[in-house]
Amino acid sequence: MSARESRLGIGGWTLRIHLILVLLFLYVPILVMAALSFNRSQLYELPFTFDTVWYTTLASNQRLIDAGINSIVIAVINTVVATVLGTMAALAFARYQFRGKSLLQLLLFPPITIPWLVIGTAMLVFFFWTGIGRGLHAILLGHVALSLPYVIVVVGARLANYPRAMEEAAATLGATPWQTFRRVTAPILAPGVVAAALFAFAVSFDQFVISYFLAPPGVNTLPVAIYAAIRKGFTPEINAISTIIIVVSMGIMLITARFYRFGGER
Amino acid sequence: MATASERRAIFALTAPAYLWLTVTIFLPLSAMFYCSFLSKSPLVPTAAEFTFAQYAAFFTRSVYLNLTWWSLELGFYVTVFCLLVGYPVAYALAKQIKGRWREALFLMVILPFWSNALVRIFSWTMVLRNGGLLDQLVQSIFPAAAPISLLYSYPAVVIGLVHSYLPYMILTCYISLQAIDDSVIEAAANLGARATTIFRRVVFPMSLPGVIAGSALIFVPVIGSFMEPRILGGTKGVTLGMSIEEQFMVTANWPLGAALSFILLAIVLLICAAGYPFIRKRMEGLK
Amino acid sequence: MSQVDIIGAVKRYGDVAALDNVSMSFKDGEFFGLLGPSGSGKTTMLRAIAGFVSLDEGEVRIDGKDIGATPVYQRNIGMVFQNYALFPHMNVQENVAFGLDVRKVSAADQRKRVADALAMVRLSGLEQRKPKQLSGGQQQRVALARALVTRPKVLLLDEPLGALDKHLRQEMQIELKRIQRDVGITTIFVTHDQEEALTLSDRIAIFNAGGIVQAGAPAEVYAKPINRFAAGFLGEANFLVGQVAALEGGWAKIDLASGGIAVIPGEGIQPGQPALLAVRPERLTIHPGDDGPGNNRLCGTVSEVVFSGNSTTYRVRCGEQSISVFRQNDGQPVLAAGTQVTLYWEPDDAVLVSA
Repeated sequence: MSARESRLGIGGWTLRIHLILVLLFLYVPILVMAALSFNRSQLYELPFTFDTVWYTTLASNQRLIDAGINSIVIAVINTVVATVLGTMAALAFARYQFRGKSLLQLLLFPPITIPWLVIGTAMLVFFFWTGIGRGLHAILLGHVALSLPYVIVVVGARLANYPRAMEEAAATLGATPWQTFRRVTAPILAPGVVAAALFAFAVSFDQFVISYFLAPPGVNTLPVAIYAAIRKGFTPEINAISTIIIVVSMGIMLITARFYRFGGER
Repeated sequence: MATASERRAIFALTAPAYLWLTVTIFLPLSAMFYCSFLSKSPLVPTAAEFTFAQYAAFFTRSVYLNLTWWSLELGFYVTVFCLLVGYPVAYALAKQIKGRWREALFLMVILPFWSNALVRIFSWTMVLRNGGLLDQLVQSIFPAAAPISLLYSYPAVVIGLVHSYLPYMILTCYISLQAIDDSVIEAAANLGARATTIFRRVVFPMSLPGVIAGSALIFVPVIGSFMEPRILGGTKGVTLGMSIEEQFMVTANWPLGAALSFILLAIVLLICAAGYPFIRKRMEGLK
Repeated sequence: MSQVDIIGAVKRYGDVAALDNVSMSFKDGEFFGLLGPSGSGKTTMLRAIAGFVSLDEGEVRIDGKDIGATPVYQRNIGMVFQNYALFPHMNVQENVAFGLDVRKVSAADQRKRVADALAMVRLSGLEQRKPKQLSGGQQQRVALARALVTRPKVLLLDEPLGALDKHLRQEMQIELKRIQRDVGITTIFVTHDQEEALTLSDRIAIFNAGGIVQAGAPAEVYAKPINRFAAGFLGEANFLVGQVAALEGGWAKIDLASGGIAVIPGEGIQPGQPALLAVRPERLTIHPGDDGPGNNRLCGTVSEVVFSGNSTTYRVRCGEQSISVFRQNDGQPVLAAGTQVTLYWEPDDAVLVSA
């Protein structure tokens, strides 16, 4: 390793220190926020006194609890719907050659690349006109739309590495199409589908912009409620709920990473 | 190509997903395009007329042009900082660190990206506010220094956005750097190229698709951002995104908001159109 | 054990005919190689027998029965895939037992038959390994055991040894031949490697552009190619262009464009017709010195010498043409480039082929 580095002349140590600084940049604010959620002072004053008082207050904040339940319910339904529909589309793309396929694949880009602000406001306008209106159902419609492209891409990546010959082999060995699906296709696809489902859950659970535009007064998802609270003023209670969210999100992604390798070595 | 039964299967498999996308993405965008030509908000019960007034307002009133310019400027700063900070990280991960460490570090770098954006922006208020971590740190080293608060400032918005979008840049650069075969670098060295030359003439050009993809992925959402500048910038540094949000949620002037949204989209499309042939050419060269 | 007949098979992809009215028979217990460049139809043929490709016209018959309407999983045809297609989530035991399991064979029978199959491919003891933990050659053996354990009527092999390195490939060729002989199963395999086809097959068929160019025993096809494609695809051949000058006493005399006269058996040849002769490099004898023109000989200059241990290949320039000559290194001195030489061949060594 050292031979190549010295030839490249880009100091290995400089890069390593840079990497450490970037990790600090990424994690220190989050750690500070989490630490302050365990500090007794309402005004974030030091010295640090450990206390879980803000988590107990949280437990009696009905508004945040309702928002949390909404978030979880929407995320779960979103995960099921987006994973099923997305996996179906990914199967069609992987299995068949047909006219218009590249157009359909191209159409996955707008939901990913158009700013959420634009998509969210467009939904607001369209849902108003068509009578779909605002509310949890509208938020769910929007979340599934944002999750679908991710599911299709993640499951598609798994399918691309999965040779069709496996299914053909099962067929030559006497397995009926259903046996082939149950005993070969499904087990091999499972990690990709689980990863996609976790992605979909994360997309929905963390989604703020779309929910913000589609939530009528009095109806909240967790991020919308937190945004409203932040706009009113910082309290350690926000730190507490934020810490819980961050732990849940990162936990989900760590589990996802077990199923799906992001661009790492094989 | 496809037989009749295959066509049925293809339709059955793809129709639900695309029907959903039609109702939630494509029809709404069309509806909003239509809305941008109306004279008054659909919320007002009286009939609206067809007009270019909303677009005309954008081009004639300096406030919107200024907004656009500020947004582009913000997008530029955030993208450049992400590149300067992120590219070396991607390089270290792709070309220097191997094995289990690489996997672990890579995961650590992109993990925040998949956690809640709003919460991460909030976490910066804890660092940047008066009496926050940064202030405390400076005070402990220079007790005489005046209290500093970066919160509600332009730099705070830039820092928060860089924090939000840095993993994008690292991810895209990492993918294209990793695709460069080490033997290409060795060949360049063998041909007598010095380290800086190898980087300038071989490594960086070959990683350009990642740089461009990352830049586009950052620039586009930044000019459409509103939550981050609201929380970290307060009233400082108003963006096009904030103005659009205002038209929909505060002043209820939907047609103007719609027009501004489409101007934002037009800018996005122009950027993509400018970058696309370049990326395409590079990609084909690398195949 | 079974006989497979293909009758008038046609398969089109758009305007391209992957199989263009092909008929052929694979005899019971035969080891049959399908050879040809990629896109020649050999793989389509194999996949049509397996049932992955449905023919536009024609029939696939096993023991006289048309199986066109039989789904793949009811055909009872074993197949070894190019990259083996082992199930990555199952270990060796489970992979091999899969076909028995879906047939509801009892657990005890499964264990016994899997053990027998693994013993046959010499992999006993690796039952608990996952495919990833096996070498390429071992994966190949598992795939073979898995295909044979259900006692199929026919065994299909798609580029069976293509993924192995040269040394392992030779070893597996011998192994494959042994197992096929022991089991006695009708075996059809696809390859683009001519040496593999010659080594393994009882009979071969050369495919080109959706049709069979020539079929027969390897030695026969090699010795008597019917046209330029067959001669050039299977082994190496020198082509001599000329015209039939005369027929004399059962011999045809051919004036060669590169100078000289070739005499070949004259059966079925008309005077005055253009002639294309194929001569294998190893059938040419090379002598130093310019012996002048004569029957079945060409004079020229050595332009290139490729020494490969037990043999030497010469390129000899004869007028406009470059001729390859292959000579065993049996003690005669190796000739240097620039040497004047004469090439001889026997009348039977030049084969009249169609263009």
